Amino acid sequence: MTSEYNGEDMVYANNVDKYYPNGCHALKAVSTTVKRGEVVVIIGPSGSGKSTFLRTLNQLEEISSGTIVVDGFDMYAKSTDINVLRQNVGMVFQSFNLFPHMTALENIQIAPLKVANRPKHEVEGEAKQLIKRVGLEDRMNNYPTHLSGGQQQRVAIARALAMKPDLMLFDEPTSALDPEMVGEVLDVIKSLAKEGMTMVIVTHEMGFAREVADRVLFMEEGKLLVDDDPKAVFDNPAHPRLQQFLAKVL
Amino acid sequence: MQSKSSKWIGHGIYVLIMAMLIGAVYFSGKSINYNWHWDRLWPYVVNTEMQQIRANGDGTAVVKAGQLVIEFDDQSQSQVIDTYTTLLVGNGDLIFHGDTVAHLNAWQFGPIAHGLWMTVKISFISLIFAVLLGLIFGLMRVAKNQTARDLSLTYVELIRGTPLLVQIFIVYFFIGTVLDFDRFTAGVVALSVFTGAYVAEIVRAGIQAIPAGQMEAARSLGMTYPKAMRYIVLPQALKRTLPPLAGQFINLIKDSSLVSVISITDLTKAGREVVSGSFAPFEVWFTVAALYLLVTGTLSWAIQRLEKRLSASD
Repeated sequence: MTSEYNGEDMVYANNVDKYYPNGCHALKAVSTTVKRGEVVVIIGPSGSGKSTFLRTLNQLEEISSGTIVVDGFDMYAKSTDINVLRQNVGMVFQSFNLFPHMTALENIQIAPLKVANRPKHEVEGEAKQLIKRVGLEDRMNNYPTHLSGGQQQRVAIARALAMKPDLMLFDEPTSALDPEMVGEVLDVIKSLAKEGMTMVIVTHEMGFAREVADRVLFMEEGKLLVDDDPKAVFDNPAHPRLQQFLAKVL
Repeated sequence: MQSKSSKWIGHGIYVLIMAMLIGAVYFSGKSINYNWHWDRLWPYVVNTEMQQIRANGDGTAVVKAGQLVIEFDDQSQSQVIDTYTTLLVGNGDLIFHGDTVAHLNAWQFGPIAHGLWMTVKISFISLIFAVLLGLIFGLMRVAKNQTARDLSLTYVELIRGTPLLVQIFIVYFFIGTVLDFDRFTAGVVALSVFTGAYVAEIVRAGIQAIPAGQMEAARSLGMTYPKAMRYIVLPQALKRTLPPLAGQFINLIKDSSLVSVISITDLTKAGREVVSGSFAPFEVWFTVAALYLLVTGTLSWAIQRLEKRLSASD
């Protein structure tokens, strides 16, 4: 798929290649688009480059060649301020990465206060709304060490939402969780999908992928092999590599 | 789990050992026929004796409005004495040079107290500069810029690899001559540059101990690198680096005794001077040691308080 950016899509990636300094070829000519309001789930075996690709979408990883446009910003154009772009792109990590020296509420407030420089009274009200939204209003003054994994990840989602992003990136949000906590986190993500949030999600939860995704991407060894709707991917997998992968995980 | 009784037995044995050590010091003092004169030492710390105020020349006393003014015969600038306890002369008395004209009952700090103050002052000022230097060079050490990293590495290796005593001489005699430093400035420069190198290493280690995910999460929220450092990484690093920093600050206070080689009258130099005046070397050096212990102890107590406060998020 090599087409021009249509000026509308949330994500446009064209011929993205990524080499690590050690010579490892992590992404091989990856091209795809994500429309506004779309939920795209990326699946694939470990080391397939799916997390790497996700992280290129807010430049936590730099690419070696190709084009990436996110939310109208050409990521490597001179005029693009990556810090402004990142304010519009929320990211949720596998290991939560909450700031341990701040309470849950402070974690949510820090970006609006210090990045957007908004007044405290305004930010505090919104942060309380967000923490309520992820169902943790009674834990808002707890430090991360006093929260369970599932609770920490919900706070992390609220923190990413605090900047009112146009796009949310989820990097295996449930992989570090105990099984009984996976549901509470997925529920929050599902509710976001219902509200029309544009999301790119890397996950190993196939049931969740089938339920929430508008499109599923299958990656292996740095290549994007399948880009199709979930029905086609899970019910009639055409690609032999995808068949093998699904046979192992389902 | 330690039982309560064994804990008390442990404390008891400790007290016994300490008593034996103190006894050993006491008896070894006796065995060399040393006469302890703690009373001789006291005036060198705080002088509570009545002071005699003397006339600076020949003249006439004029007492008015609580002031004693001595108008000198040679018309030179009059001597004005306004703090005294008792006057020994009256209005119009003739006064000769060196006469005791008044007594003053006031505490006066002796050389040891002044030395202590100098040690505290030079350590405190050096500490502030050392933290600044350490922060700057520590951040340079983890920066992307290769030149900054090279510079920081050179600074740390150069300073850690040479003795502080030599550095003090170089700063005082070479740099101090070029830039026209006084002794105190030279002492502060040498101490803060020396300690700064160690603080830089502590800061670097502290920053590197923070998981990379913290910086990534901060950057993903749109924070610039300086903001992410300031609000996310450094506050966490501070908490981890407090114990080694406390050790370094205590070293700084102790190392400040070396500035006496460039004739700064700190606690150590004051001690040396008082020994030659009082002929009580044991008392003086024990006192000097106790005063250093007081300063370092206060500092580690303050840092422990800070550690406690920061541990709220644990």
